[in-house]
Amino acid sequence: MNNVAKPRAIIIGAGLGGLLSAAKLATSGYEVEVFERLPMIGGRFTNIEYKGFALSTGALHMLPHGPTGPLAQMLKSVGADVNIVRSDPMAVIRLPLIDGDNDYTNGYKDIPFRNFSDPLSATNRLKIAVLMLTTRVFPPKKGSLEECFSRYVKDEWLVKLADSFCGWSLSLRGADTSAKEAFSIFSNLYRYSGSGVPIGGCKAVVDALVDVITSNGGTIHTGKDVSEILIENGKAVGILVDGAEHFSDLVISNIGHVETDRLYNNIEPSEEYQQYLEQLKKIKPSAGVKICLAADEPLIGHGGVLLTPYARRVNGINEVTNIDPNLAPPGKHLTVSHQCVQWDKLDELEQEIELGLQDIKEIFAGKKYEVLLIQSHSGEWPVNRSASGLDVNVKNSTPFKNLFIVGDGAKGEGGIEVEGIALGVANVMERIL
Amino acid sequence: MKIGKTCVGCAQCATFCKTDAIKVKGKALIMDVCIECGICAEYCPMKAIEVSI
Ligand SMILES: Cc1cc2nc3c(=O)[nH]c(=O)nc-3n(C[C@H](O)[C@H](O)[C@H](O)COP(=O)(O)OP(=O)(O)OC[C@H]3O[C@@H](n4cnc5c(N)ncnc54)[C@H](O)[C@@H]3O)c2cc1C
Ligand code: SF4
Ligand code: SF4
Repeated sequence: MNNVAKPRAIIIGAGLGGLLSAAKLATSGYEVEVFERLPMIGGRFTNIEYKGFALSTGALHMLPHGPTGPLAQMLKSVGADVNIVRSDPMAVIRLPLIDGDNDYTNGYKDIPFRNFSDPLSATNRLKIAVLMLTTRVFPPKKGSLEECFSRYVKDEWLVKLADSFCGWSLSLRGADTSAKEAFSIFSNLYRYSGSGVPIGGCKAVVDALVDVITSNGGTIHTGKDVSEILIENGKAVGILVDGAEHFSDLVISNIGHVETDRLYNNIEPSEEYQQYLEQLKKIKPSAGVKICLAADEPLIGHGGVLLTPYARRVNGINEVTNIDPNLAPPGKHLTVSHQCVQWDKLDELEQEIELGLQDIKEIFAGKKYEVLLIQSHSGEWPVNRSASGLDVNVKNSTPFKNLFIVGDGAKGEGGIEVEGIALGVANVMERIL
Repeated sequence: MKIGKTCVGCAQCATFCKTDAIKVKGKALIMDVCIECGICAEYCPMKAIEVSI
């Protein structure tokens, strides 16, 4: 019928950002080819089977905005079939049993997240309610979340809570999270609501996307390391893999701005390019440690997040087997903690892990569990390639035509983790489709 | 097998090792039971594992 050749798109990396872009393009009339360096598909968002448990390469099997978020909407729009179940409760905060205690050694009590201001004095409760309302209309432009809170309501509790919330969802401290980005995240929580778990874990999302891509004529190559992006006259024209050139009308890189920038050769240092390089200097990846536990009895008992603001290092813990029991062997539970690692603590990783293990001992005192695996993430295999809020200026474009960046190094504003990836992909698609 | 400087401790290698030869706590450590099959190196996202010949 139609003799005009389809436009060709090449995607570098088969992480969530690459796969979402590939699925969008393949269902919009592009001939799509994805090149992935590793022997497996999914990047930091897929399952690894370990001792019968569905551990993961990165993510804790949780979608920040569940079945109604930007990722879920994008999956639906390409026809990717994933069953996402909302966590209920969304989150619970663990407080010390005795008021005034600074840890959980004398026991604990859990309160629902919506009651987060309970530990504040009546005056401060009112102040924080006013702050939450006014920032929805007038979001702060400068400073960190911690600075913003302490300007209005000086309270140790809010600092702890901000660290726990930001540590869990962004792998950052409150002091390292921009207030603008944080309030943009809060307003997305109102808009899209809270987290959910894809049945089958991260891999269910990846498998569904692979189905969409291949059934729309796309190809995914694994074990193929892209060594160069070919640029001609300020335009991306293809890539180099194993010494062979592959040409295309569009190149989408899933590996972040900084890593992508290393793949060009002989670039004319135009003013625009220099300015771009200046922006890239501001990008820093966020680091974290994940501790995977196996237990016979549930340690948490629900599918929401257990925020642990009074732990030394652990920011939060989830137990997705309360939503999808098949993520563990029959009768077992998979419980996973996450802790942010501050940039200046990366040299003391072993000590940070030890503190995390001690936290878990106190949080689950008297309960039986086994440590399955300890995973740490930083540098070029981080929690987020660009810490939230640091990628807002560069967005998804590059100084080169037909070359775009997707993934967690180029998230959309206010987008937590994979939701930010989906928002970023949506921005790119708006430009090209 | 040698673990290089770029290792971040993600433990991906350990989960693919058939002989349970890799322990990870902040960094990977390969133990004597390793049979030098090379699978871990393929799965390392940081290209941190050097296959010894
Ligand atoms: C411990 C931890 C917990 C997390 N928890 C959650 C969570 O619960 N919920 C959530 O939403 N998010 C979570 N995240 C974040 C989420 O996992 C990541 O943001 C997301 O998986 C990143 O996807 P991506 O597509 O940006 O990048 P990646 O998954 O890194 O994909 C990039 C791909 O490109 C490949 N590649 C790199 N270089 C090349 C090259 N030169 N040629 C070819 N291929 C190449 C890589 O091998 C990789 O597969 C967590 C992350 C971590 C580490
Ligand atoms: S897979 Fe690579 S980076 Fe990860 S722990 Fe093993 S050697 Fe280190
Ligand atoms: S070479 Fe094979 S046996 Fe040795 S550590 Fe790696 S995966 Fe395990």
